[in-house]
Amino acid sequence: MKDKHITEILDRASIGTLSESELNEIRAHALECMSCRDAFEAARLSAVVIKNRVEATFEPSPFFQTRVMAALREQQAVESVPAMLRLWRSAKVLVSTMAVTTAALAVVSFTQPSQTTPVIDQTASAYSAYSVIMEQDADDQMSYEQVLSTIYEDDDDAR
Amino acid sequence: MDLDLARQAQAGDESAFAEIVRRYSPRVFSVASRFFRQRPLVEEAAQEVFLKAYTQLGSFEGRGSLEGWLTRIATNTCLNMVRGAKRRPEFTVSDLTDDEQSWLEHQSAGDGGEPASVENTVVATDLADRLLSVLSPEDQQALLMIDGEQASIKEVAEATGWSESKVKVRAFRARRKVREAMEKLLSYKRAGSER
Repeated sequence: MKDKHITEILDRASIGTLSESELNEIRAHALECMSCRDAFEAARLSAVVIKNRVEATFEPSPFFQTRVMAALREQQAVESVPAMLRLWRSAKVLVSTMAVTTAALAVVSFTQPSQTTPVIDQTASAYSAYSVIMEQDADDQMSYEQVLSTIYEDDDDAR
Repeated sequence: MDLDLARQAQAGDESAFAEIVRRYSPRVFSVASRFFRQRPLVEEAAQEVFLKAYTQLGSFEGRGSLEGWLTRIATNTCLNMVRGAKRRPEFTVSDLTDDEQSWLEHQSAGDGGEPASVENTVVATDLADRLLSVLSPEDQQALLMIDGEQASIKEVAEATGWSESKVKVRAFRARRKVREAMEKLLSYKRAGSER
């Protein structure tokens, strides 16, 4: 028997479902052929681990039924509300906050008086350089002669 | 009986649907357990199955059993859930834990006849998951149902919606891949112990 015959039998069905004659055929060949013996051993161990894997199952908890019914009611409640309303509900907080902020800013803008920095009219100031030099009353100014006479009077007094 | 229950549930009778959940949740859990190893994932999948079943109750015509109909929904729902998950790369003997190596040695030495302890079952189940990771989720299901649960080709075809020839091809391919992966493990193990 050729090698591929054994592996084909192994791959065609689970080892647990092979007939006794098929198993005998495999065992007989495996005694002579090392690669088929390894294949048979691997198939046998694979069957064992798969059997173990299938037996590892979970049982539903006592609360599972309640959990499903609650989820179902929640789903029904969501589905009963129109899509636009659902959208509005989810966006309501954001939209409301934005509206309140905009309104508050508008109120502040229109009701508060303008608080611009006063511009000092330097030309109007009594102490500006321009006014001191150019706009002093003519009466307060001394004439050139008066200035000279005042100086020389002082000199004469000194002598 | 099943059809009456389905019709009552479809008409809005909550107690009828609760009865469906109570009656068939063990079956749905059993299907989901083939796909997932953690209880929260199994429960999540099972809940998804029943919610989906509720919305599709109108399509249940009573030709087959309600259990079979739910099994199909469960299989497809779980397949969809695991399809997105990345497959792990093929593992080698160096990835095996000490427990797994010793389990393999005991089994190879013919000690498999001893009563299965909880620890041994966990080790074997972990090893199964590692071997099954080389397969697609669909091939895994075919192999687990046929070789693990002794389901017939026809039963698998009904549960999955695949043709019988597709089921046969999947099971054949899966069996060969798992056997080859196990062979590789055993040869590495032998090479390791000879060193």
